[in-house]
Amino acid sequence: MTTNPEDRGVVRVDFAFKRELAEKIEGDLASFCYQCGACVGDCPANTYSDGVFNPREIMLEVLYGLGDELLGPDSVIWQCTNCYSCHERCPQEVKPVEVIISLKNMLADRGMAPPAAEKVIRTFLSSGRTVPPSPAIDKQRAKFGLPPLPEVPMEEISKILEPDEGGTS
Amino acid sequence: MKEFAFFPGCLIPARHPAMEFAIRETLPKLGIEIVDLEGASCCPDPIYFKSKDKLDWLTVAARNLTLAEDKGLDLFTNCSGCTATLSESYHLLQDDELRAQVNKRLARIGRQYRGTSKVRHIATVVRDEVGYDAIKESVIRPLEGLKVAIHYGCHLLKPSRIMKVDNPDNPDVMEKLVAALGATPVRHRNWYLCCGKACQTEDLPATMMRDLLTTVHDENADVLGMICPTCFGQFDHGQMKVGKQFGMDFGTPPIYYFQMLAFAQGVPYEALGFERQRFKPEALKKYEGAEIPV
Repeated sequence: MTTNPEDRGVVRVDFAFKRELAEKIEGDLASFCYQCGACVGDCPANTYSDGVFNPREIMLEVLYGLGDELLGPDSVIWQCTNCYSCHERCPQEVKPVEVIISLKNMLADRGMAPPAAEKVIRTFLSSGRTVPPSPAIDKQRAKFGLPPLPEVPMEEISKILEPDEGGTS
Repeated sequence: MKEFAFFPGCLIPARHPAMEFAIRETLPKLGIEIVDLEGASCCPDPIYFKSKDKLDWLTVAARNLTLAEDKGLDLFTNCSGCTATLSESYHLLQDDELRAQVNKRLARIGRQYRGTSKVRHIATVVRDEVGYDAIKESVIRPLEGLKVAIHYGCHLLKPSRIMKVDNPDNPDVMEKLVAALGATPVRHRNWYLCCGKACQTEDLPATMMRDLLTTVHDENADVLGMICPTCFGQFDHGQMKVGKQFGMDFGTPPIYYFQMLAFAQGVPYEALGFERQRFKPEALKKYEGAEIPV
C-alpha cells in the first residue's frame, strides 16, 4: 500500500503486487471473494490467535493490493494451520488457504521463508525426502523386515526443478 | 487380489516403520496386492515445499504420479499429507494449461503426465475395495470393550471436493473401520480441530493441542485411533511436550489404525513396535491369548 499524506488517506492499489500474486498457481482466486466470512468461523488459527489471523481480512487486503502488510517480516500468514477448512467452506471457490500459500511463495521468492521451511526444502533438495535417510533409520526398518529406504534419483529431480526459460518460477 | 501401487511417502517409512510393516502385513490378508514404485521421491510435502514454490511442488508430484501410470495402476497413500499433495495435483493437472507447463518440465527426463492413475487414501481402499464385513472376518482377536477415541485430522477430509474421502462435517469411515475390529469408537468434542503440526509458528499450535488433548482425555478412552502420521506425532511426542508445558497429564496413547488392525488379525503386540511410542497402547495386551480359532 502507498499512503502519501498528500493523498489524504486515499489507498492506492498496488497492481504490481496483484499481478505477481496472480502468476502463482491459484493466486488469483481472491478476485471472487465477496467477503462473506464463511472462512472465519471454522478457522482454528483465527480462534487461537484471538482473531489476529483472519482469512477474510487477508483476502480483503489482497483485493485492495495491500502487499506490504502481507509480505513483511513476521507476516500474519505464517499463522495459518493449513487445515483447509476455509477451502471447504468458501461458497465462491476462493480457496483462501491457496491464496495464502501463493503469498508464502512470494515471501519465499524474497528470501523470507521461515527457517523451518528452508530446512525441509534443503533436505528435499539433497535427498528427495523430507526426512533425511540415515543408517539408524535403515536399522529400525530392518527390525520389521523392511529393506533400506530406496534412493531417489536426484538427477531427475534437479532437472525438473530447473526454472523454465524466460518463464515463471 | 486387487493390485495397487503403493506410495509410502517419507514420514511412515522413515519415522514409523512399524506402521509400514503393519500395512504390508494386513493388506494382503484383505486381498489387496501392494505394488512398490521405484524412484519415488517425497510427494512433496504440502506445507513446507508447497510454501516455497507451487509450480515446483506440482512438478515433483506429477513425476511421482507418472511412476504409477507406468505400471497402469491406481496409487494409494498411507499418509494424509501425501494424499493432500497427490490428490490436489491430480485435480490441478486436469487444467490443460498447467498440465502443459508441467509436462514441458517432465519432458526433460523423458516423462509425461497423462492423468491415468487415480489417487486413493488407504482408508478408502479398505473401505471400498475390501469392505467393513471382510475386515471383520479377518479379525481373530475381536477388540471387544476397547474404547477408541477417533481423530481424523484435516487433510484426510478437506477439501472434500478434491480428497473425495468422506463427509467432512460428519465422517464415519474411521468409526466403522474401528467397529469392524470389534472395538467401540467414540467421538471426542474437538474431533474437528486441527492438530496444529502444519502451522509454521510455535505458540498457536501448543494451545490448540492442549484443548485437543483435554477433550480426548475427557472421553476416558483406552486409545486414540489415528490415521494420519503427522497427527500421530503430535499426539505422541507432542502430547508429552504439551503436557509438560501446561503442567497437565493427559495420558491417552495414540495408535495408528493399521497397527491396531494387524494386532486384531493376530500379529503379536511385541512385534508391532509400540515400545518406540512415548505413550504405549497397553490396553491391547489384554486381548492377547484371546484368539478365536478360525
